[in-house]
Amino acid sequence: MELSGPRWKGKNYAQIANSNPMSEIIAQLQVCLSNSESAALPIGTDFLLETEPELTDLFNCTSFGRQLKTSNGSKGYFQLSPEETFYLHHYLNCLKVLINNANLINVNDLWNFMRSRNELFPIYYRAYMHLRSKNWVVKSGTNNGVDYVVYRHHPELVHSEYAVIVDWEKESGEKEGGRLRVWSDLHCAVRACNGVAKAVLLLNVMGYEVKFSLPELLERMTVGERQITRWLPSQCRDDCKLDNDVEADDIDVASDKNVINHTTRYWVVPLQTQTQPEIGEEDSDYAPSMSL
Amino acid sequence: MAQVIEKKGSLWVSTGVIRNSKLYCHIEEIGYLAQIGALVLFDEGDNVMGLKDIFTKCADRQYGCSWESFEAYRHLKSLGYIVGRQGQPWSLKHNKINPNSDSTVDTDLIAGRIEELQIGAANLIFDIHQPNSKFKKTDPGNPSFIICLVGDRPPSRKEVEDLEKKCKSVPLKFCHVSHDNVSFFSFPKVSLPVLP
Repeated sequence: MELSGPRWKGKNYAQIANSNPMSEIIAQLQVCLSNSESAALPIGTDFLLETEPELTDLFNCTSFGRQLKTSNGSKGYFQLSPEETFYLHHYLNCLKVLINNANLINVNDLWNFMRSRNELFPIYYRAYMHLRSKNWVVKSGTNNGVDYVVYRHHPELVHSEYAVIVDWEKESGEKEGGRLRVWSDLHCAVRACNGVAKAVLLLNVMGYEVKFSLPELLERMTVGERQITRWLPSQCRDDCKLDNDVEADDIDVASDKNVINHTTRYWVVPLQTQTQPEIGEEDSDYAPSMSL
Repeated sequence: MAQVIEKKGSLWVSTGVIRNSKLYCHIEEIGYLAQIGALVLFDEGDNVMGLKDIFTKCADRQYGCSWESFEAYRHLKSLGYIVGRQGQPWSLKHNKINPNSDSTVDTDLIAGRIEELQIGAANLIFDIHQPNSKFKKTDPGNPSFIICLVGDRPPSRKEVEDLEKKCKSVPLKFCHVSHDNVSFFSFPKVSLPVLP
């Protein structure tokens, strides 16, 4: 579906976002995190970071990680995904990481550590980096049955516009990823995402070879972007690409619960910092479309 | 392909191709019109051909049509779109066409090259124009988009790019026909903006 533009969750939220470019808040995060003594530690497949109040605020405003709410008011605890951890460590060069409580790890060792735990890490990191480096906010897409969802600014201010599926191929062009292998995969992705007013974005990571080192990989892996849209000829006889499965404004479950308080900072972090899953309306237009 | 002997009504403005002032129909057009009772087809012995035989010919694959392409044709045509075979001119004048000859050269000039639709591969099948009462076969303009019929697997990135090159700047839609559904997908290139 071609969206008519970002769906802001409230009046004036677009202005709040425009007045607070994400790149600037991230720059503040970089400074604060570099100066902090906190280091991230592996927990499960993710990483845990303990933060002081100023850093807690900045993590929330840049929407990195998931805050673990505790009764301890003075410290923050954030759970970071491997991609987020590596992005903060490598691309933003501000996060320290500690493995096995030993010395602080360097970037190449961290790279190897990430790869040893997930052989697909380079592909997902490349995709994550592609989106975050353009200042889109990238969060897990599990709730929507995809890899990531991306937001134009903070999830409290705006609904996510794209549901992202990551596919990949080797340098030779040989398809590797095996996403969207059969037609029902396509139908499934488009139906699930259009039901919550998101367009499906296919990120194709190209040029992957297992043997590459980190710099080689990042230099030679490129990312192509394509949207996947379903066209309903019965609903659109104009020369448009509009895919009329769902009216975007009908779907809005989460935003009422978020409160904006302009006197403290740009926005107040509510008790539940995870973005609520958005529940779609039943999509009766997706019926067998044969006529005659 | 059949020659239209007697026609009535405005549907012929956007159905059938003109070759040297004569009107001809492809098998999918025949199938659609026969199904809705708007056309009667005669064989060489002047016998009326029944729907079973017409449908069988649609599915035959010898006439540049397959059952799937026929379903796609029927779906779009019944919604009012103008559907022509991809790359084939709506109207052609050629001095060398001899109406009394039945050589294969003449058939080619009338029908265009009939390529057998490959099973499983991706085939560009139709040029689509928006429903438009001002459509003229002598000056149809560029199609609004081209339909590509895809087999049992969605196309790969490379296949999509190769097909886009063939279509030049005309938008491409991929059609998948299953037992009870005709679906269209497109994969436009996008570029997420760099945000502030």
